[in-house]
Amino acid sequence: MFEMMNTLELKVILAPLILLPATFGALIFGLLLKGVDRILIARLQRRIGPPLLQPFFDIIKLMQKQSMVPIGAPRKLFLALPLLGACSMFLAIGLVPIPGVYEPSAQFGDLLVLLYLLAIPAIVLMLAGSASGSTFGAIGFSREMSIMLAYEGPLLLVIVSVAIKTGLSQGQFITFSLMDIVQYQQLNGSFLFDPWMWPAVLAYLSFIPANLGIPPFDIPEAESEVLEGPLCEYSGPALALFKIMSTMKTIVVLALGIALFCPGTNTGMWAAVIFVFKCSLFFLLTKSLLRASVGRMRIDQAFLFYFKWPELLGVVGLLLIVLQG
Amino acid sequence: MSFITNVSKQSPWLYRINAGSCNGCDVELATTALIPRYDVERLGCQYCGTPKHADIVLITGPLTARVKEKVLQVYKEIPAPKVTVAVGICPISGGVFRDSYAIEGPIDKYINVDVNIPGCPPRPQAIIEGIAMAIEIWKERL
Repeated sequence: MFEMMNTLELKVILAPLILLPATFGALIFGLLLKGVDRILIARLQRRIGPPLLQPFFDIIKLMQKQSMVPIGAPRKLFLALPLLGACSMFLAIGLVPIPGVYEPSAQFGDLLVLLYLLAIPAIVLMLAGSASGSTFGAIGFSREMSIMLAYEGPLLLVIVSVAIKTGLSQGQFITFSLMDIVQYQQLNGSFLFDPWMWPAVLAYLSFIPANLGIPPFDIPEAESEVLEGPLCEYSGPALALFKIMSTMKTIVVLALGIALFCPGTNTGMWAAVIFVFKCSLFFLLTKSLLRASVGRMRIDQAFLFYFKWPELLGVVGLLLIVLQG
Repeated sequence: MSFITNVSKQSPWLYRINAGSCNGCDVELATTALIPRYDVERLGCQYCGTPKHADIVLITGPLTARVKEKVLQVYKEIPAPKVTVAVGICPISGGVFRDSYAIEGPIDKYINVDVNIPGCPPRPQAIIEGIAMAIEIWKERL
């Protein structure tokens, strides 16, 4: 009934990607954060919870399993999509500066390239949902598209606000270089402590749960109603790649938030420690507590919510920046 | 290879199939025995929504004539290696529904069952012990 796939094939493709030290570090950090998140949720529900390394076990287990392709699905596209998603995130992590530790070269790309790379996982999930040929995948596809339409607006407004704020101070109108943004904040204080930027900070905070699929906005991948939507037909190594993609996306979004709003002025080892601390704090506050305390919205409620509040915050933030300049 | 096997066995994902059960065993699985109260997540288990992600299959119910084909089809969609656990007396012998015209079971006429957990419904402790046995069997097959 199903065609089988050689798991070795995928491992060989994946190996060089994983061997890059920076992305490897980000992946390990992301998986550890996920482990902490699962333990914290279990403790909040008065359970013991899984071991800290559980996400690593899950990925290694998935690599051992059989990978199936449903009848009627375009085989090459179906198996290439998870790889494409994971690769886009491995590239994106290379574009985000870690203040004081790592500065990406300007020729690789700027904030705009990063914006496009951040859209790829959602597009990959949409294509995966429709390529799998399953009804649940199709529902996941339509939900993923609606929620993407809803959250891309606030993200764009936030990025433009920060870019205009930095650009105006440098005599240009707008700058999309992340390094310029980080350096400006290191000289003049973080945007997080500037009341004019607070609407933009709030808009970015509300963009995170929809982009990362955290309740109440995990509607496209709702496991109890649409059987994880786009991931419904994936099994084995292909599913592991999707897990890696979402882990990397978490780190990219967190690191981008830190670069945009609160890069520190430290350098060297100490800066790395502070970065890890900020990421963890940010992650546990925005993800774990939210996940433990709310249920899931309907897609129309989430769509309306995003068009009302984060969009409004984004517009207000942008107007404030322009008026101030 | 044994290191990878030892690591992998700590991540068994559970999938529930209701083969015409009265819902008693399902309530035990969903609310007390596994995740929320007695917490098999400490063994690394987690429920998955679709058969494609599953490692350990928990079957409840006496396999009624109406759901037989669908249960067998869903069972086929679970990728190897997998372990089958029959929860409750119904899939093992038919329980109180035994000899009914509407029953196609017992389930081991069609599927190789690895662990039986009898009871109507079984106690949570029994279910957890059954899952621990299933994990050991699963380790052999990895």
